[in-house]
Order: sequence, then structure tokens, then C-alpha cells
Amino acid sequence: MSGVWIYADKYEQGVELLTAGRGVADMLGMKLTALVSGDNNIAQDFIARGADEVLLLPPLTESQPVQDYVPLMADEARDADPDVFLIAASLKGKEMAARIAARLDTALCSECSAMNIDEKGKLQMERLMYGGAAIQTVSISSRPQMATIPPRSYEAAPVQSDRQGNIKTLESPEPSGMQVMERKGKAQASGDITAARIIVCAGRGIENQEDLAMVRELAEVLGGEVACTRPISEEKHWMTEESCIGLSAKEVKPALYLGIGVSGQIQHVVGIREAGIICAVNSDENAPIFESADYGITGDLYQIVPALIEEFKK
Amino acid sequence: MPNIICCFKWVVDEAYIKPSSSGKIDLEWAEYKLSDYDRNAIEEAVQLQEKYGGSVTAVTVASSDATKGIKDALSRGPEKAYFINDDQFENLEPSQTSAILAKVIGDQIDYDLIICGEGSSDMYSQQVGPRLAEKLGIPCIAFVNQLTIEDNRIIAERKTDDGLEVISAPLPALVTVLPDINSPRVPGLKDTLAASKKPVIEIDLEDLGSEYERLLIDEGLRAASMERNCSRFGAGPEDIKAFVEAVRKTGVIDRG
Ligand SMILES: Cc1cc2nc3c(=O)[nH]c(=O)nc-3n(C[C@H](O)[C@H](O)[C@H](O)COP(=O)(O)OP(=O)(O)OC[C@H]3O[C@@H](n4cnc5c(N)ncnc54)[C@H](O)[C@@H]3O)c2cc1C
Repeated sequence: MSGVWIYADKYEQGVELLTAGRGVADMLGMKLTALVSGDNNIAQDFIARGADEVLLLPPLTESQPVQDYVPLMADEARDADPDVFLIAASLKGKEMAARIAARLDTALCSECSAMNIDEKGKLQMERLMYGGAAIQTVSISSRPQMATIPPRSYEAAPVQSDRQGNIKTLESPEPSGMQVMERKGKAQASGDITAARIIVCAGRGIENQEDLAMVRELAEVLGGEVACTRPISEEKHWMTEESCIGLSAKEVKPALYLGIGVSGQIQHVVGIREAGIICAVNSDENAPIFESADYGITGDLYQIVPALIEEFKK
Repeated sequence: MPNIICCFKWVVDEAYIKPSSSGKIDLEWAEYKLSDYDRNAIEEAVQLQEKYGGSVTAVTVASSDATKGIKDALSRGPEKAYFINDDQFENLEPSQTSAILAKVIGDQIDYDLIICGEGSSDMYSQQVGPRLAEKLGIPCIAFVNQLTIEDNRIIAERKTDDGLEVISAPLPALVTVLPDINSPRVPGLKDTLAASKKPVIEIDLEDLGSEYERLLIDEGLRAASMERNCSRFGAGPEDIKAFVEAVRKTGVIDRG
């Protein structure tokens, strides 16, 4: 059998993968199969948006983690033997993909950033390594060729009229012995940094949580959003991870990025490489951020940020 | 009392990676380090041992270049290490690393809990932990930021895209940990001296008795240059004015 498979644990990423998967399936002249958790309506929606077949994953009990689908998905894939299997690179998706790949004894390209098909019909996939300092191209010699695809890499596939497809409902997965005891939602971030035109980014050069007010004021004056580095969100917990930029967080494409007390380590900078203009304020003239910046101020942010607020207000 | 294994990787320090003029990556002058989040994995294992007793064993798969890494890992508290090393273990991909770890851990080490970092600093594929759990046939909880052991079960709080989940799983189990789970201790001179006296069990490819084929094929590597030509400004009032002027001129700011 041949085919292209997709799976996402979230609907929004599922419809993005339909775009990615449809593209690959068309180039290879293959069928597109979507693994979807939900009901018949969602299955029909996936077919209308490009799937030729939907394998419907039955609902889990309240205490079952979504990872309980792993053995089932691996067994189905072993039977059907698809050529390509793409999984959304959500946190859950990344774990599930690695586990499915282990069960299928195949390789997996993690967080694939670009994908081409060579003359032999094999995927040539790009991914970042060394924190973003290098781009590696890989292919996979085993079956299926697996990759995880970062959210927002593709547009959502549109609904088309007159599309037909099969729906097959799979059996409920066995409980794994793992139990979800509690689920906690996260605090809503103030704004969406991935959509912001102007971003002021707070780094660990900021000493106290109160001092973020000054960074917020600068962002306000510029009409932008406040973002942060990983230490600010993960270590100090001053801002949510939704606001964090970088390799293990969000990639942003603002017209203007202004880093305040950000050292500019590669894992952070890789998230702003598409920014129009990059500016930085740092007291260390040798800080790596200056190598990635267009305009840099060397100096104490506690003196410079208030001065910038005044000057930009004019 | 749990027997805990922590896995670690000895990696190129990415701070030393500079693209050469040809766009290639030059590793000749690179320094190596213990992968950042594996420090959290080791620290967590040692903290659990301080709380519950038991043992901590550090394990790595590498070429013999990682000898320094063994000492570094042992200086952070584990009482012994398995150094699975062979000249052929250079640049392994995750399916190989996890299969080799599973072989050694499954055959030779008593364990209740395995702790890995969420991903390595060099490749950051985030695969070895989950793959290892599958190969050993034990539960896996990835992206954990809090961990306790109760009645032969592990209770872990893990990050998801929607927030957090508290998961309970029977031991033996594997977890991968996030950097915010703890602050790794900085080993002192005494710890470094103590590390050189700790037992290290060396295993090579021949001892393993199987082949581990590469399935993820390298097709090329190029530097991702992010260098820009920075105009530098000082901190004086005139500099601030000139900076703001320069930024305004680019037209990225709507108002003003
Ligand atoms: C696998 C991996 C993934 C990672 N993913 C991410 C990621 O997604 N996002 C991310 O941000 N990081 C990530 N990191 C961490 C990254 O390597 C850096 O540690 C982090 O970005 C540094 O944050 P920072 O610049 O805020 O802090 P620091 O590196 O501590 O820098 C603080 C800077 O502030 C300056 N400073 C101090 N005081 C002042 C002052 N008064 N005035 C002006 N300047 C001052 C200092 O000179 C310094 O340059 C990752 C790391 C790894 C290993």
C-alpha cells in the first residue's frame, strides 16, 4: 500500500497538515489519509478539506491521555504501510511521533522547516540544528518517512465542494495505566506576538518584575507587543510562555524587534531571523545580539529605556 | 527506594559555532559541554535520591571523545556511570541512540525511573527519551516540570500546549524534563575530585552484539547566518536621538 498520513492532536493543526499532506500526496500521486479524533462531522470536514480517507480515533475516557492512541496508531500504520507520515509538532505530537517512529523502527525528522520531493520520490527535509546556527537536510531510508511539522507552517486547507472519502472508525485504545489526574489551563497572554508588527522583548538584563512596566510602556509608545526570552518565562515566570520567542518557543516576524537586556543567544535569535529591523539595548558591547542587529545601543537599559520612551513620544 | 537512571549527551557548545566564509560549519575550535537540559535531568535524579534514597546511575552513548563528559556528569552527583562508547558512535541519530540505550539498560541495569532532558542542545530532536520508553515498553511522560514518587507510581506535572496535565503512571517509567524543573548545581572542586573515583562501566559496539543502522540520512549542512550589519550607538542623549531618528527613517513605526 502507499499513501500519505497525517495526524494532529488539535483541529487547527490538523487542517494545516491537510495542506501539507495534500501537497505531498499530489506530488507523489498518492492517497491522503487523516487520523482524526472526534466524530463523523469532523471526519466529513477533513474530507471536504482534502483527505481521501479518515481514520477516526474513538473518544478517550476523561482520565486517558491522548498518548494512549500511540499503540493503535502504530499498529494501523504497520498494517497500511504508508510512505509518509506527518504529525503536528505540538508538545504532545512531538512525543507521540517519536514513540510511533520507535514502534515502526523508522526515522523521524523533528520540526521539519521545509520539505521537497526529489526525483526518486523521496522527501528531502530541512531542520535547524545547533540551536539554529545551522540547517541540516535529511532524508529517511526506512518506511514510513516521518516528520513533525511546526504549527503555522502551512495555511489551513479550505473546504471544497463535492469531495468524497472513506471514513473508518478505529477501535477504542486500551488504557495504558497512565492516568490524567488533573488538567490546568494556562493564563491568557495579553496579545499575540506572532501577529505583532512591533515587538519589544524583555531579557534577563531586567532585574525585577516591576521593571517590566517600563518595557511595557515603551511597547505602548511604539504601538507594539511585549515578548520575552526563555529565562523570563520559564525560570522567573514573569511572563507566560505564549510571550516567549525562540527555538523552543515562538517564531515571530515583526517589522521591528527591539531587545532590552537580551544577550542574543542563538536559540533566541533564531526566532527573530525574519524580523524586518532588529534593534538591541545591552550594556555589554560584546553581547552576541549586536551581531544579529541592525541598530544597537550599548548602555544601561535602566537609563536608556526611559530615554527611548521620551524620545519616541516626541 | 528507587533506582534512577539519568541519560546525558556530551555536545558541541553552540556558542562556538561560527559559519566559515564558505557557508560551512567549522567545528575545529569548538568546545564541548554537557547538554543544557541533561543537567536538569541529572539534578532531578540526584534530588529524588536525596528525598527517597535509592541510587543514581548516569548513562551516555558516544564516541570516546566524551570521556570528559563522564567526569562532568559524575561530578553532579550520580554514583556510577555507563559509558557506551565506540568510534562508530559518532553523530548517531535518535533511532540509533535510543536502541543502544535500550539494549544496555534493558539487559544490564536495574531501574525504576529513567530521566532524560527534553532535548539535546545540539540536535534538539526531542526523540531519544520517548523512543527509549517504547523500546523498553514502559510509560513515558514528556516535558515534565514537577515530579514526585508515591506508592510505586510517579506523579508528574507536564506541559501541554493548553497548559498543564498532572499524570500518574506506574513505575518503571521514563520522563523527560524541562529546564524549569530545578536549578542544576554547579560542581565544586571536591565534586570533581570525587567524580574521578566513581566507577565507570565501559561498553563498546562489540559487547552489544548487534548493528545499529542509520535511518536518518544526512543530506547536507549549511550555516544559517543571522548576521546583520549593526550600526552602534552610545548611551548619551545625542546617541538616543540619533538612534530614534535612524529607526524612524526605516519607516517601521506608524506614528510620530
Ligand atoms: C535547547 C535550547 C532551547 C532554547 N530555547 C530558547 C528559546 O526558545 N527562547 C529563548 O529566549 N531562549 C532559549 N534558550 C536559552 C538561550 O540559550 C539563552 O539562555 C536565553 O535566550 C538567554 O536569555 P536572555 O538573553 O534573557 O538572558 P542572558 O543570556 O542572561 O542575557 C542577559 C543580557 O542582559 C544584559 N544586561 C544585564 N544587565 C543589563 C542592563 N542593566 N542594561 C542592559 N543590558 C543588561 C547582559 O549583558 C546580557 O547580555 C534555549 C536553550 C537551549 C539549550
